[in-house]
Amino acid sequence: MIYIATFYSHFGAIRFKKKCIADGLSASVMPVPRSLSSSCGTCVTFTVSDEYYLDENINEEIEQIVCVEENKYRQIYQASDS
Amino acid sequence: MNLKNEKTAIILAGLLIGVISALLVVFGNPANMGFCIACFIRDTAGALGLHQAAAVQYIRPEIIGLVIGSCVIALVKKEFIPRGGSSPMTRFALGFFVMIGCLMFLGCPYRMVLRIAGGDMNAVIGLIGFIAGILVGVFFLNRGFTLKRTYSLPKIESAIFPTAQIVLLILLITAPAFIFFTAVDGGPGAKHAAILISLGAGLIVGILAQRTRLCMVGGIRDVILFREWKLFFGFAAILVAAFITNLITGHFSLGFIDQPIAITDGLWNFLGMLTVGFGCVLLGGCPLRQLILAGEGNTDSAITILGLFAGAAIAHNFAMASSSKGPTFNGKIGVIIGIIVILIIAVTNTKKEKLA
Repeated sequence: MIYIATFYSHFGAIRFKKKCIADGLSASVMPVPRSLSSSCGTCVTFTVSDEYYLDENINEEIEQIVCVEENKYRQIYQASDS
Repeated sequence: MNLKNEKTAIILAGLLIGVISALLVVFGNPANMGFCIACFIRDTAGALGLHQAAAVQYIRPEIIGLVIGSCVIALVKKEFIPRGGSSPMTRFALGFFVMIGCLMFLGCPYRMVLRIAGGDMNAVIGLIGFIAGILVGVFFLNRGFTLKRTYSLPKIESAIFPTAQIVLLILLITAPAFIFFTAVDGGPGAKHAAILISLGAGLIVGILAQRTRLCMVGGIRDVILFREWKLFFGFAAILVAAFITNLITGHFSLGFIDQPIAITDGLWNFLGMLTVGFGCVLLGGCPLRQLILAGEGNTDSAITILGLFAGAAIAHNFAMASSSKGPTFNGKIGVIIGIIVILIIAVTNTKKEKLA
């Protein structure tokens, strides 16, 4: 399944991408899709074979994570104070 | 909206914005200055008495329209998100020195595009400096530069800046004695389209820029970072549309010499826009984008705009702003200090770990 994570900063996105790759996931950075946010920052799209396991100690730089489904995004995580 | 639709939308928006920008000159704005975020903030600062340069004092309705347009469409689309707290004082300082760079070059990145579209080749030198500044900024982004995250804020906090625009509009319309307006034929501040035309143009561009996230810095930054050309196409569309409109309306004059509100000093055009490109990458967007984000509820961008205001006032009070006669000694010192300060901000806010 394909996921997209958005971040509060470019730094957070690059760091998350590095972690994904270290974990053996396919990941790349790209501009945040307009339909996902009015922010013009950097997001990470990554592929996981099964449902994404959400680490409770999730990177504090992550603003939200969505699962890419046909013609829509399904939100699976939203930072509590964003 | 998929990627192809996004590209189409941003190109159409850019074309419309380019036409509107060029037509504002026909309706009375200074030449090659249908829009200039830096100049218009500077004019507004002058109107409020923050500087005493009598030639550049006018509350520009375009700025008001940009913020209100962005704010209204963000509210309608449920994208008005009160947030802030991402290194506000650092952003103020960056905004301050971005303005010093803009007033060396005599224009923001938006006006730089409009100047090129009007045939001003000095702006091409500025563009090269702008790209160089963005490259330096991207160097730090890839090495871990961050101004830290934003946080949720109460709605009232984010409502203050858009509300202030309404106050400015009231001051413009009622023109009380304590507001300064450039006398007729007294300089660029006296050249302006009718209030409703300027306000309408600002509203339309504000709405389009909010929907498409148009950003002069973002366009080039995304090409460098991601090989993603979408935002750049918006940048290019403005250039093409303004160029064609200028040809039709007779406002095109190719060359370096005798260009309206411009300096011919290549080195300082380059360094002025290098300062702007570098500072804006660290800020995450050009002055236009900061206005749009402030309209969406981002108080960090509102603080940045206050930095731009302060920079404009100081630039004129300390004789740092260029004029058609050329750059000033104080302006050169200001730009050098600006580059050093932005460099210090970049280095001190870059994490130690190497990211790319």
